[in-house]
Amino acid sequence: MSSVPSAPNSPPPEPSGAHGRHRVEPVLETENLVKVYGRGESRFDALKGITFQIEQGESLAIIGKSGSGKSTLMHLLALLDQPTAGVVAMHGRPVSQLKIKDVSGLRNATFGFVFQQFFLNPHQTVLENVTLPLKIAGVGRSERNQRGMEVLEQLEMADKAKNKATDLSGGQKQRVCIARALVNRPEVIFADEPTGNLDTATSEVVEDILFGLHRDHGITLVVVTHDDDLAAKCQRRLHMQDGLIVSEDRGVLSGTGGQS
Amino acid sequence: MKSLDVVGTALTNTLRSKMRTALTVIAIVIGAFALTLTSGLGSGVNKYVSTIVDGYGDDSQMYVMAAADPTAQMPTGDGPTEFDPEKDGATGEFGQTMLTDRDIETIQGLDHVTAVEPIVFTSVDYLQGEDGRQWQVPSVGFPIDAPSLELDAGRAPEPEALELTVPNSWLESLGAETAEDAVGQTVTLAVSDVVGERHTVEAEIVGISAPLPSGVGSSILPSTALNAEIAAAQNTGLPEDRQNTYVQAVATVEDMAAHEMDVKNALVENDMMGLTMEDQLGMLRGIIDTVTWVLNGFGLIALLAASFGIVNTLLMSVQERTREIGLMKALGMSNGKVFGLFSMEAVMIGLMGSVIGVGLGLVAGLVGNTLLTEGPLSGVAGLTLFSVDPLALLWITLLILGIAFLAGTLPAARAARKDPIEALRHE
Repeated sequence: MSSVPSAPNSPPPEPSGAHGRHRVEPVLETENLVKVYGRGESRFDALKGITFQIEQGESLAIIGKSGSGKSTLMHLLALLDQPTAGVVAMHGRPVSQLKIKDVSGLRNATFGFVFQQFFLNPHQTVLENVTLPLKIAGVGRSERNQRGMEVLEQLEMADKAKNKATDLSGGQKQRVCIARALVNRPEVIFADEPTGNLDTATSEVVEDILFGLHRDHGITLVVVTHDDDLAAKCQRRLHMQDGLIVSEDRGVLSGTGGQS
Repeated sequence: MKSLDVVGTALTNTLRSKMRTALTVIAIVIGAFALTLTSGLGSGVNKYVSTIVDGYGDDSQMYVMAAADPTAQMPTGDGPTEFDPEKDGATGEFGQTMLTDRDIETIQGLDHVTAVEPIVFTSVDYLQGEDGRQWQVPSVGFPIDAPSLELDAGRAPEPEALELTVPNSWLESLGAETAEDAVGQTVTLAVSDVVGERHTVEAEIVGISAPLPSGVGSSILPSTALNAEIAAAQNTGLPEDRQNTYVQAVATVEDMAAHEMDVKNALVENDMMGLTMEDQLGMLRGIIDTVTWVLNGFGLIALLAASFGIVNTLLMSVQERTREIGLMKALGMSNGKVFGLFSMEAVMIGLMGSVIGVGLGLVAGLVGNTLLTEGPLSGVAGLTLFSVDPLALLWITLLILGIAFLAGTLPAARAARKDPIEALRHE
């Protein structure tokens, strides 16, 4: 799978080994991040002040039950939403100082998204779905298709390029999603329950692909999940509860049993 | 996103639900069709009017009438008006105030008026050719139109000689093979006077006329002298003061552009009014334009209704594609581009509707024009009921695109405002 190089624009990761505590430059960092929904009686504090960093090239799992604030945190990190208070900074620069349009551009150029529900456009071909980020970026058609085919080959989906997105199995759909997340050569891939809609065997394949990309191309991986097996494969885990990070542990956990 | 991609994506999206787009487009087609047809009709009829003006040609002429007094014929509550022998006889057959010889002299005396010729309505019972056959004469042209004649053969009648021209449709009746054969024939005109006695006048055919859209040349046209002769025969038996009254006179004005108002004002002071050719046709054009605009109004109402169809269609589309919008925004599409994409879809619907509607309108107008002008209305020379005005078509298309864009702004703004997270959660 990793035999076809894809020329990522980020340098190879520094070997942040299982026990390495040494600091690498953070891609994203937050300071006292607060998100409040509603007001008065219906006020809900989704995040109650979160400060942490995501290092360049690391794989991070944000784990928690539903309602713990993990999705809200991911949305803020992915610049899809604005915090009520606190700061999100990218490469040391606070994002809140940027214009909305620049934030959109930043998202397009540096992030890739993999969603639980895939969000593929059923009216378009696999290739058209994959090249959507490039189309948004304003890349010309021929380069778009060329780069789209490259990532589809990388994910062994090239033969499905002309198919409608609806004609695919769940695992194939998620691979198309990953291809779409990869096509703009992102620094960070956000995966929101990437295996949530897949059976165990397919999940294994998709996880292998994601961690392969992380390992071989140095792409920073942020996974939001409540699947302990998936979280265990990440280098670092943040456990969230009631809008706060309650614990953090490091190191890829071997074995497939349910670890904490 | 490149502009070309925005257009392409918008087109693909509008074609996605074909039925809905088609129904919305039909509404626009109706509006575009109506506007194309009415504006083509307006420009066609105005073009016809212009060819009539060209038929008269001479813009130094002013038509003079006695000033109309609309109350003159009404019984007034103030009791009867005192009888004025001076004005007696100056009332025409239809109660219209007529010009008298004294008025003609007055006009002649005005500054800048170089010539006056009273228009005498004459009627001829029949025209007898050299072979003795007699033909009805439906109408007699005015000598004043002689310079505008378009002649197939011969020349225009000399004012002082007893001469006339006949239309080219008369050749066969006069026993002539070609137009040249008819020239030189002497014909006899028969005229009835007021007591029914018949008089005859002999005159020479000097020209064969082709009918113009203005009507000039479509009937026999006598010289001034011949016309006067006919009029004299017609008025035989009338008392002196009832003769020589005229409905209209034609004054020739030097440098019309500079002196038009002076002459008109002078005429008003003398209880007369003057109208140039432009004045008369201006009134006609005004009526045509008004009718055109009223009809255009109906087209615009149809378009207004259609624009709500666009709003409705796109609002549904935005609702259905909420997750797609959320995805595009999550993947970095700016609000402006989302707005642009959806308003471009509205413009696409407008473009389809206007192209089809304008096309159908053109076909219907041109086919209808051909059917009518070559069918029931073929007798009207130079008639155009529909003409293609590319500029007007361009304006109609732009107008529809503008309306479509405006209709698209509401749904497009709603799409642009969507929060990506909310939109992605949408079921």
